[in-house]
Amino acid sequence: MARFEAVYKETYGRITAYAARRCDSPQDAADAVADTFTVAWRRVDELPEGEQAMLWLYGVARKVLANRRRTGRYRQERNAELDAEVADLYGRRPDSGVELDAIARAFRDLPGDDRELLSLVAWEGLDREEIATVLGLTRNAVRVRLHRARKRFARALAEADVSHSTTRRLVPAERSR
Amino acid sequence: MNDMTKDTTTDMTRDGGDVEALTRALARVEPGSRGADPSGAGARTLLASIVAAPAAEDPLAGVSTSGSTVTPLRRRGLGRLAAGLAVAAALAGGIVVGPSLLGKGGATPSYAVTKDDHGVVTIQVRDFSDADGLRRRLEELGVPAIVDYVPLGKRCERPRTGYVEDVPRGLYSLPESIPGETMSWQMRIDTRLFRPGETFVWTIGEGGTSTILMKNPVRPCEFVPDRPPLEEVDGEGFRLATTEGGSLAGYRVDGKTVGEVVPEIRKRGLKVTFMVMSGPDGLGERYLQGRTSPISTVGDDWVVWDALDARKGEVFLCVSKQRYDRNPLFGGPRDAVIKD
Repeated sequence: MARFEAVYKETYGRITAYAARRCDSPQDAADAVADTFTVAWRRVDELPEGEQAMLWLYGVARKVLANRRRTGRYRQERNAELDAEVADLYGRRPDSGVELDAIARAFRDLPGDDRELLSLVAWEGLDREEIATVLGLTRNAVRVRLHRARKRFARALAEADVSHSTTRRLVPAERSR
Repeated sequence: MNDMTKDTTTDMTRDGGDVEALTRALARVEPGSRGADPSGAGARTLLASIVAAPAAEDPLAGVSTSGSTVTPLRRRGLGRLAAGLAVAAALAGGIVVGPSLLGKGGATPSYAVTKDDHGVVTIQVRDFSDADGLRRRLEELGVPAIVDYVPLGKRCERPRTGYVEDVPRGLYSLPESIPGETMSWQMRIDTRLFRPGETFVWTIGEGGTSTILMKNPVRPCEFVPDRPPLEEVDGEGFRLATTEGGSLAGYRVDGKTVGEVVPEIRKRGLKVTFMVMSGPDGLGERYLQGRTSPISTVGDDWVVWDALDARKGEVFLCVSKQRYDRNPLFGGPRDAVIKD
């Protein structure tokens, strides 16, 4: 119990961010957070030590979201404070504009596996080894799939006529690596 | 700042950093930010409710949390095939919209077709009973179109004519929902891009709608019974035909050749449809190539990876030209995933 609580406090922020980045509504994200930690508690014996716990939880969160999309299952009971705290994460909208819309559309139309790979890199900041752990793949498989996902996204962007100069406008130089 | 200068890059390829930067720009919660506060009231209430309720239903009941065990691999493998199939329909030179986008109509007009100054026609469809009216209206606005109402359980006899393979880019948009409405859809067609000798062929009805650009002349629609719907198992994709209860139960096909397997399947009175797996690991460009192939394109020496029950009396045989180290359906040996 003490260990679970420690992991919960350590990972709660990143799991809420993970869910909010992927769910259109704060309620969905709050549900996903609740479900993720419920699973973690039920399977606390499987919960790995240290930094691996975070990766394991990302993997659980991913499956929780996929499961919810597939079954359309939603939690009945609502935790109003949790809803509100997660909703706060939705306050900051990314820069908008026609071009960002086009990028968002191209991104949304990618296969789900591609989106998740690109997101784990760009949003959660994971490296290939970590992604391999989250997705249960080999590092080489991650490398190959990530390469293909980037290619597909680049192709979709080109088809959507998103010009190269967009990157410079949307992404301040000091933030790009 | 050089935003004023024209981007002179002619190479359309982007590097990984560029793609990553654009992905980062889409993040609702900024990358690197810590998310919600674990000491907030909501977080504490949640923690208390989780640990205080040992009997709570496991939201992932039946789903393994480790990436290397039975369920996820199986789901991933079969889900892939389902995704490939969905795309196959879309690739056949047109668009197919599922029944969920269609409604029975109501007080609203059944359709609205408008044309802007640039020759772009916007079509909004809410009810499909008046196929003739829609066709006439499209024709008035310069869209060469044939519209047929097809009752549930029927389809038009194929082929009506040849499909146009090189559809002009931008000729039409994908159908999308009309904001604020659920039982309707709209799409745009750029009439300036039509070429002589080509016609938009629509079939509409409760079973779905399709929009395919075809070459003239197009034969009239003659109704024939539609094939029964594919037997997908509630969102999981298709059931393996070689497991208990499947149409090939007791007969293993994985690792055998097409020449060995097909006669055995035919002996059981089943129709075979091939799904070709390609790419370096068999999963490569699956979203583009997970399509069914005619028997003539598949050789007897091709490798079979497994069979799926597609619909009554028909199996999908997952095959590849080359032999892979690992069964691409299961990411390794079938026995590691399927316990018979």
